Formats: sequence, structure tokens, C-alpha cells
Amino acid sequence: MEYLSKLIPVMLMGTTLTLKLFFCTLVLALPLGVVFAVARLSRFKILNVFMQIYIWIFRGTPLLLQLFFIYFGLGIVGLQLDRFPAALLAFVLNYSAYLAEIYRSGIQSIDLGQREAADVLGLTRLQTLTQIILPQMFKRVLPPISNEVINLIKDTALVYAIGMSELLRVAKTAAVRDFSFTPFIVAAIFYLLMTAGIQQFFKWLEGKYDYYH
Amino acid sequence: MYMLQAIDVYKRFHKLEVLKGISLQVARGEVIAIIGPSGSGKSTFLRCLNRLETVDKGYIEIQGEVMVQNGPDNQAQYSDEKNIARLRRKMGMVFQDFNLFPHRSVLENLMLAPVLVQNIEKEQAEHNARALLEKVGLAYKADNYPFELSGGQQQRVAIARALAMNPEIMCFDEPTSALDPELTGEVLRVMKNLAEEKMTMIVVTHEIGFAKEVADRVIFMDEGLIVEQGSAQQVLLNPQHERTQAFLGNVLMAR
Ligand SMILES: Nc1ncnc2c1ncn2[C@@H]1O[C@H](COP(=O)(O)OP(=O)(O)OP(=O)(O)O)[C@@H](O)[C@H]1O
Ligand SMILES: [Mg+2]
Repeated sequence: MEYLSKLIPVMLMGTTLTLKLFFCTLVLALPLGVVFAVARLSRFKILNVFMQIYIWIFRGTPLLLQLFFIYFGLGIVGLQLDRFPAALLAFVLNYSAYLAEIYRSGIQSIDLGQREAADVLGLTRLQTLTQIILPQMFKRVLPPISNEVINLIKDTALVYAIGMSELLRVAKTAAVRDFSFTPFIVAAIFYLLMTAGIQQFFKWLEGKYDYYH
Repeated sequence: MYMLQAIDVYKRFHKLEVLKGISLQVARGEVIAIIGPSGSGKSTFLRCLNRLETVDKGYIEIQGEVMVQNGPDNQAQYSDEKNIARLRRKMGMVFQDFNLFPHRSVLENLMLAPVLVQNIEKEQAEHNARALLEKVGLAYKADNYPFELSGGQQQRVAIARALAMNPEIMCFDEPTSALDPELTGEVLRVMKNLAEEKMTMIVVTHEIGFAKEVADRVIFMDEGLIVEQGSAQQVLLNPQHERTQAFLGNVLMAR
């Protein structure tokens, strides 16, 4: 008991970093993904192809490798970022690519007839996008988005590899130092609590969108 | 001046020539029914009139203003975007499968375009929307969502939504084809009321009864051409062309 009361504050410190990375990534990647999805579907060929390549690269290589590129690789060419900004940049770029593909399929799943109806009513493309397409898209992509968000909370453990003291690293340090398995169990419980929270949040959100079919 | 005039309109999809020189003049207040077999190009023609499809060749004007005409290379040359947007706003369109916005209430479906496109005050738009719902007999559904309505009710909302933009011409593409037979009556009744108010209407339909009763002129299209046109009496009861006769024979037989 006494051990736990000493362990938990330290692990909460690690959790703070985990949550900070988690929320900062979401705040940036969720909207950026929309922009990328729209760009990916753009009529402008160059933009379209550029987004395809971007998405290919960030979905086609491990996030850990991207993290190394941004933290160590940029350092080599004289653009050394601090750990947190480097981690955030890697996560945002990576998650925006995944989210963009989810948003894209959501946008494409909306019946063309809706666009035509908006078109003959005189709405501009931008109005059609913001008033008709995107609101319906968000409802449809909630389930895959909640998957990605749960992946994200677990992926934050990767920043361990560039020496950041997030939850898992704190647990490992304590486990090695104290020759105890307890920190890992506590870490598992922390992750489970966080994912449960995410699941509850999305359940609530889906409920909010339940007013139409 | 015609309400709408199309001259020698051509349209192809890749190899498939769908419209092979269609001309149509519509006078103010005229109700035109377009009939014809599946694939004859009825929808495509209607969609060309409000530029949901672009024509390859031909001339279209609305209230005397040119939307598209042939350029020096004898290919369609459209007026500038702003002008086209203005001309298109004179035309309302009702689709076969309603295309209401499912995430917006009935009232919001009607208010959306007037507020966003015509910059009408919200209160004014709501007032107009409620009056239109009254007119199509659905005032009590104002706060419902489209999924809570029957097909016939949805189509009446779609008509009201188009009317909310104060169009000069209403185009209908088989407005009752997606409906159960017992629901077509309520939609046709709304359309008939519109016709009586002297709305200019172009209606692609398989409802021969409606065409007979309401249309000032019936046009029979086949294989991308207008084969025969005239009063409902002439075309439907005394068709001259054998393709019209065959088509009407089939339609009547199918009943
Ligand atoms: N966007 C498109 N791309 C390719 N072909 C098309 C397209 N739209 C229509 N067509 C083809 O053009 C022809 C005419 O189609 P259209 O929809 O105008 O016929 P219709 O007379 O309205 O028939 P229906 O009574 O079945 O609605 C058809 O052969 C159709 O397959
Ligand atoms: Mg059709």
C-alpha cells in the first residue's frame, strides 16, 4: 500500500505527458485531417497527387520510424526540435494521414444526389461542403474515428523511444529500480481507464448524432 | 419572349450520343410533360437545362438571357459562372428520390438556401417556409426530420424546398417514380395546384393520367430526339408516330 502511494504520483506525472501529447495531437490532427481529405478529393490534380503521396508515406511507414526521422533526422540537417514538439509533429502528421482517409471515405459515402440538390438550390461548393457534406460525414465516421483515437492513446507510448517520460517509460523505470512488476499492472490499469473514457465519450457523441438517420 | 428556349441541344457520354439535337420552347405558365422509354434521354435533357450536365453543342436561354450558345468552333460556350448561377436560380428542380438533407429538419431544409443564397433574414425565411409547408399540407411536420416522413411527404417537402427559392420554372424528374402507388396522388395533387397557379413546369413523367389532365403540351422523346409533340389530346389519344403508339401501348398494357 505504501509502495503504491509512492508509485502512483510518479506514474500520474507520466500520464500527464501521455495525455498532453494525446490531446495536442487530437486538437491538431482532427481538423487537419478534414483539410487533407478535402485536398485529397480536390479537382486540382497537383494538390490531389501531393496528398496521395503524403498519405502513402505516412501510412506506409512505421510511426516509430517517422518519430526518429523528425527527432534525429531533422537534427542532422540542423533543425533539431525539442522532444515534445518533435513527437507532436510526428504524431500530427501521421494521424492526419489516417484520419484524412477515414474522412475521405465518409465524404464519398454521401449520396451524389445531396450535392446536386444543393447545387440546384444555388449553394456554392464551400457551402455545400460545410453545410451538407461535412455534418453528415462526421456522423458516419464516428466509429472508425473512435478506433483511431484509442490507437492514439496507446501509440503515445512510442515516444518512450526518444527518451520522453510518458506513462510506460515511468512504469518501466520504476519496475527495474524496485524490482517489481506492480508498476506495469498500474500502467495497464491507467491505459484501460483512459480507453474506457474514450469509449464513453464516443458513445455519448454517437447519441448526440442519433436525432436523424 | 419565351420562358425558356433550347435549340438543337447535343449531349454525349463518351461514345454514347444521348441527345441528338433537341429543341424546346416553353412559354410562361406552360406545363410540359415529357414522356418516353427508359434511356431516351429525358433526364439528361432536363439536367442540361439547369446545367447539372453540360451540353456539347446547342443554345439555351432563360427569359431571353443566354446560358449557353455555340462558339466559333461550333462547340458549346457557356456564359460566365456568375451569370449562370443567376439564371440557374430561376429554375427549381425536383428529383426522383427527393434528395432532402437528412440532417436538417423539414423547416431547415426549406430555409437553408433562402438564407445562404438569397441572404434572406432568418425570421422572414421561416415565415415563408411555414407558408409553403402549409401549401403542400405539411405544416404539422415542420420540426420533423426527413426520415420520419413517408415518401410522398418527403417529395412534397422537396417541392416546397424548391419553391422556397421563388423559381420561375419548376423542373420535375419523375417525381412519383420512387413512390408506392398509393402515395403518388398526394404529390400529383400538389403539382396540379402549382399548374393551376400558372407556374411554368417541365415534368418528366410516366404518369400518363397526370400528363393528360394537367399538361398543356406533351412531348414524346425516343433515342435522344423529340419524335412527336402536341396537346395531350393529340399525342396521348391520337399519336401519329408509330413509336409513340408502341410506347403508349406498352405503358397502357403495363397497367
Ligand atoms: N452520367 C452519365 N454517364 C454515362 N452515361 C449516362 C449518364 N447519364 C445518363 N447516361 C446514359 O444516357 C442515356 C440516357 O439516360 P437518361 O437518364 O437521360 O434517360 P431517361 O430517358 O431519363 O430514362 P429513364 O426513364 O430510365 O429515367 C442512358 O443510356 C444512360 O445510361
Ligand atoms: Mg430519367
